Amino acid sequence: MASAADDIVVIVNQNIGVNKMSRDDVIDIFLGRSRRLPSGVTALPLDLPSTSLEREQFYSRLTGKSMGEINAYWARLIFSGRASPPSLAMSQEEAMQMVADNRNAMGYVAKSKVTPSVKIIFELQPE
Amino acid sequence: MINPFRKGILFGTIISIVGTAFCVSAIFILMVAFVTAADTRKDFARHMDELLDTVESTASVACFVEDKQLAAELVSGLLKNRVVSRVVVQTADKELARGERAGSYRADATPEPMVQAVSRKIVSPFSKDKVICEISMEPDTREANRLVWENVYFTVSLLALQLLFVAVAVVLIVLYFVVRPIRALSNNLHSIDAAAGEKLLSPKEHEGNEIARLTDDINNLVGTLVDALQNEQQLRTQQEINQQKYRSIFDNAGSGIFIADVDGHISSFNRSFLLLTHFPADEHGQSPELAHAPWRDHDLLIKTIEACVMTGANQSVDLELDTEEPCWLNVILADSGDGQVQGVVSDVTQVKQSETTALQMVVTDSLTGLPNRLGLERYVLTIQCGHRDPCALMLVDIKEFTQINESMGMPVGDKVLKVAAARLMGCIKKTDWLARLGSDKFAVVLHGVSTPAAAENVAIRIIGAFRQPIEIEETSITSGCDIGIAFYPADGADLPSLLRSAEFALSYAKTTAGKDFQFFMPEMVVTAEQHRKLETELHQAIQRDELRLFYQPIIDLQEGRIVGAEALVRWQHPTRGLVPPDAFIPLAEKTDLICGMGLWVLETACRQLAVWQAAGQQLYLSINVSARQIPDALPPGLILEALKRHGLSASALALEITEGVLLSDIAEGVNWLKELRDAGFRVYMDDFGTGYSSLSYLKRFPIDVVKVDKSFIHDMNEETNDRLLVQAIVAMADALGLQVVAEGIENECQISLLRQMGCRYGQGYYFSRPIPADQFDLLHQKGIHLSPPKARCDEGEDFG
Repeated sequence: MASAADDIVVIVNQNIGVNKMSRDDVIDIFLGRSRRLPSGVTALPLDLPSTSLEREQFYSRLTGKSMGEINAYWARLIFSGRASPPSLAMSQEEAMQMVADNRNAMGYVAKSKVTPSVKIIFELQPE
Repeated sequence: MINPFRKGILFGTIISIVGTAFCVSAIFILMVAFVTAADTRKDFARHMDELLDTVESTASVACFVEDKQLAAELVSGLLKNRVVSRVVVQTADKELARGERAGSYRADATPEPMVQAVSRKIVSPFSKDKVICEISMEPDTREANRLVWENVYFTVSLLALQLLFVAVAVVLIVLYFVVRPIRALSNNLHSIDAAAGEKLLSPKEHEGNEIARLTDDINNLVGTLVDALQNEQQLRTQQEINQQKYRSIFDNAGSGIFIADVDGHISSFNRSFLLLTHFPADEHGQSPELAHAPWRDHDLLIKTIEACVMTGANQSVDLELDTEEPCWLNVILADSGDGQVQGVVSDVTQVKQSETTALQMVVTDSLTGLPNRLGLERYVLTIQCGHRDPCALMLVDIKEFTQINESMGMPVGDKVLKVAAARLMGCIKKTDWLARLGSDKFAVVLHGVSTPAAAENVAIRIIGAFRQPIEIEETSITSGCDIGIAFYPADGADLPSLLRSAEFALSYAKTTAGKDFQFFMPEMVVTAEQHRKLETELHQAIQRDELRLFYQPIIDLQEGRIVGAEALVRWQHPTRGLVPPDAFIPLAEKTDLICGMGLWVLETACRQLAVWQAAGQQLYLSINVSARQIPDALPPGLILEALKRHGLSASALALEITEGVLLSDIAEGVNWLKELRDAGFRVYMDDFGTGYSSLSYLKRFPIDVVKVDKSFIHDMNEETNDRLLVQAIVAMADALGLQVVAEGIENECQISLLRQMGCRYGQGYYFSRPIPADQFDLLHQKGIHLSPPKARCDEGEDFG
């Protein structure tokens, strides 16, 4: 599949002072451990719809876990309310738009969809 | 019953089994308890681990996002478990959650925690390498201990119960299979009577197994023992019987039996021993000694006992007792091997006495009571053993004893011997010695006599004593004796040679007239040797035909003619010439040579008679017959046969005998004479008047002619007595119808006297000496011329 072979990239607002992020940094933010970038900027992660192929590929490539596992993970945390899952963007385009618009937003899209309005700070190559 | 039970197998078995079971149980229970406790603790730890396992993923999430609430929930979940006491969730920089269960005990509350606390490091759910927190969980130690003890208690109880059951089962099995049959066996054994042959019964349920085998073994053993016991009993009974038997033999034996050691201590003896040994009554006590018996030579007995023990060989000894009556005991000793000897004592007094008597008899002449030849030998032996003093041996021979014995009978002879012995005894000293060697021969040993003079004195005394007449049964016998004397040691160093020397001297004394005793001289041996030589030669003379027969004419004094002749034997010796009859006739008579010679004479005489008969000459021959020839050497049958062979009649031959012939054996001699006279022979009594014959013989004996001895004729001229005697003989012969031949006529005067007396026949040198046959024939032809009778006779006419 052409799309599956595509790199998934993590994008942020152009105005943000951060240019590069580690995988752990990405995991911490997307999986509820932290809402701040290393620079101290609050981060607002965006998820794609659960049916989206990119979402599945993103978590799979990032943590090695399936979507079921990721969902079960979130299910344990939701009770206490200490952490919450990322906000939802309906598509990649919307995700890019929201990132471009919001200085704290952070999302993931296929690399082919990336426009110059956003900045790539992390890439996930197919395994 | 308690004690036997405690000693019994059952008790022992139970105690052993229970004890063993207890000890083994204790060890096993301890081991099991330890193992169980360890297992329980391990289980406990594993349980805690498993608890942590169940909360690990949740804890991982809670710690990842540091969700305290989630962590607290997790802690309270864990605390719901009773084994957990306290839980702490700790991240790197802070404690996320902590919880304790109320009413629980922890390690710090108990001194020794049986279960350690557990902790686990929790990694990030997204990175296995990244530790994000640690959960530590402490156990409830009381609960843990309770669990451990509960498990241990349960397991141990189970095990103990199990072992108890096993022990009881083992006891019961042993009781049933071992103890009970053994007890049954034992009870049976107690009740059976083995000696009566009862057998042990094997328990039924144990047939064929070890108990049955044991029963059989016991039965066999009991059988063997009973048999052995019975044998033993039989042997003992037999032994007792034997011992009684031997004891009885020992006690009642006629021989004395004792056992003693080399020191003479008697350890055993019987009644006969005491009786035989005259054992003093007060010494029968505890330790009798052989020395207590009255032995004459106790040392010899002890020495013999020692010899017996040393050599091991049986010893025999004769011992005399010091008792009033003579008592001799023979003791035979046998070594019993233990330093002791067994002695058998028997009374040999009678044997000893018999021996002594027998010995005495052997060496004693029963008639005179004097020692005999053996006695003499013994006596000489003893004196030789002692000192070598010189002595003289004297042999005394009674003169003409044979004739006395024969004419007067043996009893008279014996009395003569007794008287002779008594007289001899009276002639010698007490120190001298007298023995009777032979019939009439005595030996006198003159002790210390070494000179002929001393011996001669005794000899003369003896001769004098013997000349005295011996009065026996109103008969007076005058004899005499001949004595031969030899000296010891000059004439013989030992008895045989000394006796021989004395014998030589005696025989000389006998042959020498006028001297009745003779000392031994070495020449006698030479003479004897000559005699012996002569004897040998005489023996050969017959074979070599050296004998000649000479004839002395017998004249009819009335008619003056030769009527016959006396045949006389002569010896023509090749070197010595003609040997006179005195030199060999006595010798021939001593030996058997006279017999052969007699036959030769008979044959030669017969031959001569035949010659004369052929020539028509009526001549007879008289031949001399010696006593030795009668009756066997010249039997009548043989004479008759010789005559018949030469064609002669019995009247041609006359037989001249001496008185001695009739004296030697009267009955045989008389028979011989009668037989010949019946056959027609005439018998001449030669040398009449010289012997001991009484005139009654002339009547008793069947004779025809009496020849008057020449000694009477020789002295007839001057001896009135002799003349009267001849006259008496002639008259008596005439009266008895006997003819008379006068011998030794030497002169005419004798012829005249004889003719006057009426003596018909005569012979003598006056007529002719004995001459050979050819000369006799010449004389016969010439004839005899008798002068006319003279009135008186001149003396001194002797023709030698």
